[in-house]
Amino acid sequence: MNFLPLSFGAPMVLWGLIALPVIWWLLRLTPPRPQQETFPPLAILARIVKREETPHQSPWWLTLLRLLLAGLVILALADPVFNPRERTAMGGEALAVVFDNGWSSAPDWDRRVATATRLVTDARESGTPVILALTADSPSQDIGPFDADAALERLNAAEPRPVPTNRPEIHGRVADALQQLPGATLALLTDGLAAPGDEAAFQELFSTDLANVLWVGPDRLSSVALTDSANEPRRFTVTATRAEGEAAPRQVTAYAADEQGRRVAETVISFGPGETRAMGEMLVPFELRNDFSSLSIDGENHAGAMRLLDENSRRRRVGLIAQTEIDQAQPLLSPLYYIRRALSPYADLIEPSDPELTEAIPELLDRRPAAIVMADVGTLPDSVREPLIEWMEGGGTLVRFAGPRLAAAGNDDTLLPVRLRQGQRSLGGALSWSEPQPVATFPEGSPFSDLDPPREVTVSRQVLAEPSADIVERSWASLADGTPLVTGAARGEGRVILFHVTPEATWSSLPISGTFVEMLRRIVQLSRNQGSLTTETAAPGGRLAPYRMISATGTLVPPGPEAEPLVPGEKTDVTLSHPPGFYGSEEGVLAHNLLAPDDTLAPLSRPAAPVATAQASYAFDSSQPLKGALMLAALVLLALDTLAVLWLGGFLSRRRAMRRAASTAGALAAALVFTPMAPDSAQAQTTSPQPEDIAAIEAISSTRIAYVVTGVSSVDAVSRAGILGLSRFLAEKTALEPGEPAAVDIATDELSFYPLIYWPIDAGAPMPSEEEIARIDAYMRQGGTVLFDTRDQYSSAFDSSASVSPETQRLRDVLSGLNIPPLEPVPDDHVLTKAFYILNEFPGRHRGSPLWVQSFIGGEDSGDRPVSAGDGVTPIMITGNDFAGAWAIDDDGEPLLPTIPSDPMQRLYAYRAGVNIMMYMLTGNYKSDQVHVPAILERLGQ
Amino acid sequence: MARIGEVTAPVALPDALVRARTRASLVPDLLVEARRVVNNVIAGWHGRRRRGIGENFWQFRPYVEGEAVARIDWRRSAREENHIYVRDREWEAAHTVWLWADRSPSMLYRSSLAEVSKESRALVLVLALAELLSRSGERIGWPGLSDPFAARNGAERLAQYIAHAEPSAERPNLMQVRRFCDVVIAGDFLDPPEETMRWLDGLARIGARAHLIEVADPAEESFPYAGRTEFRDPETGERLTAGRAETLGDEYRKLYLARRETLSRWCKKLGWSYTVNHTDRLASEALIRVHMAMTAETGMGR
Repeated sequence: MNFLPLSFGAPMVLWGLIALPVIWWLLRLTPPRPQQETFPPLAILARIVKREETPHQSPWWLTLLRLLLAGLVILALADPVFNPRERTAMGGEALAVVFDNGWSSAPDWDRRVATATRLVTDARESGTPVILALTADSPSQDIGPFDADAALERLNAAEPRPVPTNRPEIHGRVADALQQLPGATLALLTDGLAAPGDEAAFQELFSTDLANVLWVGPDRLSSVALTDSANEPRRFTVTATRAEGEAAPRQVTAYAADEQGRRVAETVISFGPGETRAMGEMLVPFELRNDFSSLSIDGENHAGAMRLLDENSRRRRVGLIAQTEIDQAQPLLSPLYYIRRALSPYADLIEPSDPELTEAIPELLDRRPAAIVMADVGTLPDSVREPLIEWMEGGGTLVRFAGPRLAAAGNDDTLLPVRLRQGQRSLGGALSWSEPQPVATFPEGSPFSDLDPPREVTVSRQVLAEPSADIVERSWASLADGTPLVTGAARGEGRVILFHVTPEATWSSLPISGTFVEMLRRIVQLSRNQGSLTTETAAPGGRLAPYRMISATGTLVPPGPEAEPLVPGEKTDVTLSHPPGFYGSEEGVLAHNLLAPDDTLAPLSRPAAPVATAQASYAFDSSQPLKGALMLAALVLLALDTLAVLWLGGFLSRRRAMRRAASTAGALAAALVFTPMAPDSAQAQTTSPQPEDIAAIEAISSTRIAYVVTGVSSVDAVSRAGILGLSRFLAEKTALEPGEPAAVDIATDELSFYPLIYWPIDAGAPMPSEEEIARIDAYMRQGGTVLFDTRDQYSSAFDSSASVSPETQRLRDVLSGLNIPPLEPVPDDHVLTKAFYILNEFPGRHRGSPLWVQSFIGGEDSGDRPVSAGDGVTPIMITGNDFAGAWAIDDDGEPLLPTIPSDPMQRLYAYRAGVNIMMYMLTGNYKSDQVHVPAILERLGQ
Repeated sequence: MARIGEVTAPVALPDALVRARTRASLVPDLLVEARRVVNNVIAGWHGRRRRGIGENFWQFRPYVEGEAVARIDWRRSAREENHIYVRDREWEAAHTVWLWADRSPSMLYRSSLAEVSKESRALVLVLALAELLSRSGERIGWPGLSDPFAARNGAERLAQYIAHAEPSAERPNLMQVRRFCDVVIAGDFLDPPEETMRWLDGLARIGARAHLIEVADPAEESFPYAGRTEFRDPETGERLTAGRAETLGDEYRKLYLARRETLSRWCKKLGWSYTVNHTDRLASEALIRVHMAMTAETGMGR
């Protein structure tokens, strides 16, 4: 099995594969040989069978499926492992795992843990005790020996530490523990970084009684760590280092982040071939640099790739001293006004609380400023002069401005860069021929050399330097006539700088020019903070509490429990109790960085061991047992096989057939159950159409208008003739051709076939029974309409309560049993008035009785609409005009009854009323929509 | 399990002839047939100068109540005021009966439920009919084998013709069949009904009358198979395996009977007869039915 990274736990089982041909042969036979039958009507049979199986054997794909299934099972039983790992030679009685979890182990921590886990797992199988020591953890950690499970738990809980390893102590402890366990296997899981004391530490380990040594180290050290940074006047530099031995050119990107972690600047650091140290520079504005809080390297997620910047590398503290404060009401004349305005964006300005020099200067010096600006301070008291000089020589920058006091004071070789002539020079005065002098180009070598000289600035008074040999090189700026304007001289680590003019705009216009700001900024950038500001944030005892720590993966996290306060000023090693990070509090922090500027990353060389040493590298355990997957595949195939067999056996289709049969049987059973209960209806269904069916067919084969048979023959005859007349008129004038008038008996006939039932009320007719009224009610509720006609208009009004005609009384009796909606006379905008003809009234034989219809609720809002629209068609219409009388015609088509008054137009209107009613019945509110058509078309722009 | 059906050897014609004679002699209703046929024979193949089945006009006669209205000759009737006339045709020519039995391989099938193979039964029926018809002087023929002939020993002659012909699955060419001929076809009609109808449609077009005798094996109809069964079509050799044959029974029977029903309805529509004879039943039954059919149809006149 060389060609595949595959190994088998039980390779003997693979011999079972030989059985596959046998299985194949058996499978071929599995469908039993069918009974052979000659069968002439095969064509008929074929229509049902649909070629279920191939004749002789199971289909090839089924055989293949089953062979595959068998093969998979055999393979699975052989316990295959994909990508097997070689077992480490574990001859020892015990296993000691010394695990470097220093900062450089963070990037591939998981792989390291996997390697260790593998070792411990192997130990579990052999049941040996395990010593587990983490070299970056505290020396007092519990290192065992554990049993393998406990060791695994500890291993899972272990994490990389953002500190260097502490091999000497840990190795010492392991060596002690190994004294009790002779013949152990020592597994050294190193991080590949050399540390002081390695040699001795390893020798101590090797001095114990070991069976063998396993040396696991990273293949190469690819980490790049930041060792230094500097905030220089024009740039911000970042220094990175990489492991010695890395020779290939490499580029990494370092970036600076502010306190919120935002990326504010970045630079590329290029390692040349063979270089282990490289520098990158960030050319960003000074203000932005002051925001830098940390530096990191892209893609390097370990603690070494992060460097923290504290106040000391950031804003300068500048002390301001003026001997007299001018009246606050005239701030522009204050000597410090322009200095404050110029410096406050870039520096922390410190001003003494007491203007008295003896108090002010010590107060300022306590704050350890980077620079002190003295505006026209003359002679300094001796008590403060010495500390000031000491501070200056320690690196402080003293900036002095001239003024009347300085001019008057004597020379001071230390606190002035040049010797001054007594008095001052005045240019361009009323009694002078000279002109105020402009500023000359800044000389080469001056810190201001790259600034543009302010052409507009003129100097009218200044203090003059005594000419000396080095006056030129001390001149940082000079006037057009060559006299120095700014002079500077080094004093020890620091320097002293003198502006030969006042800091306010009395002697020159320099302080009100932009160049003044630039010059001061440049000077401040040259200065260095003298010591860190710790007094306010230090804990009792002068210790700084841990504030934000660098995690092992190179991010800022809250401090862990091990972190202890830091004593400022002392050089503290980075240990677990002093992990790298910020110490202090929100007001001020001190950065404690992992690597010192001159640290290098030296690779750890494998020390010579007295016993057999195996070497390995970190790797994930990529071996994968395939047994489960294969078994799963076999199960899936089994399921497929089952489905296929079911399908081949026609079981699936038969299920359908069975369902069908079941439903048929169910229906049959139901029929059996119900047949005795309803023999009549069953019979009715089976027999040919009954007379009532024929009537129903006739009733619905054409639209027919129905009238109620009252039992009074004269009324019925008129009704019939009237409906007939209306039908003829409809057929003549409209597209509707109604059938024969239908005489309905509301007691027995089916009413729902007819859209309209005309009901002439006759007092002589028998009162309808309750059942009949209920049928009418149901008919009306299901959408039918009944047109009641009391035919008594000339004798009495429908709604006059004084004298009620018998017909009206009868109608009231009838209606009292019905659910009658609110009624109203047909309003002007009702669709009845426009359904076919435009009508204002609905006369019959009589004239004047209103036609009552269902009151349309909500009709109020229909204001200007031509027709009120309602969904419902009125279920009831009541009139007293005797429609049928007006409509009635005899066989020759002549009117049967005269209208009252006798007016042919009234008859015509009666017909038209009938047409409208019929149209209304058949079209409902469609007509009311049609009324809008012109308006709709107009709106559509047609 | 023993097989239900088998393919038998083609029947020996003399044997069939003997059996046919036996059957024919058993037919009790022969007299009616004989009478008609005798008339037929007497008529010969010239005009009989009397009305009957024929192509030529014979006479107009007054319409008698009860006759089919369709037979009224309206043109003639329109000339007279009071009478309606019916056009009679001259009884012409002898009656020719074409006999044919399917001898395709599927007919050789015989199941254990049956007495004889279908072919045997079909031949017996056809020969019995030939015997009967010859005896009564009809002209008989076997399409493709012989022209119609009238002979006393018609059955023997027919058997001779058949014996010399190779059994084949081909259907005979029925183009020789003329109008008013009778055609007796004995077969299993297992082809799709549409195919059979297409084949026989020509007959219907010509105006001949056919009598279809479906010879069915009981196993074909009842489908007594169960279990895993491989069915083989004796004609095409096609094979079909049913995993559980008993589950197919219901549907198969439905289809099988539907085919028979379709054909039978079609024949009824055309005025033909359709007789089913199971091979486990007596041939005489079918014989009688066919005779009845021939006689009855003739009686109605055409």
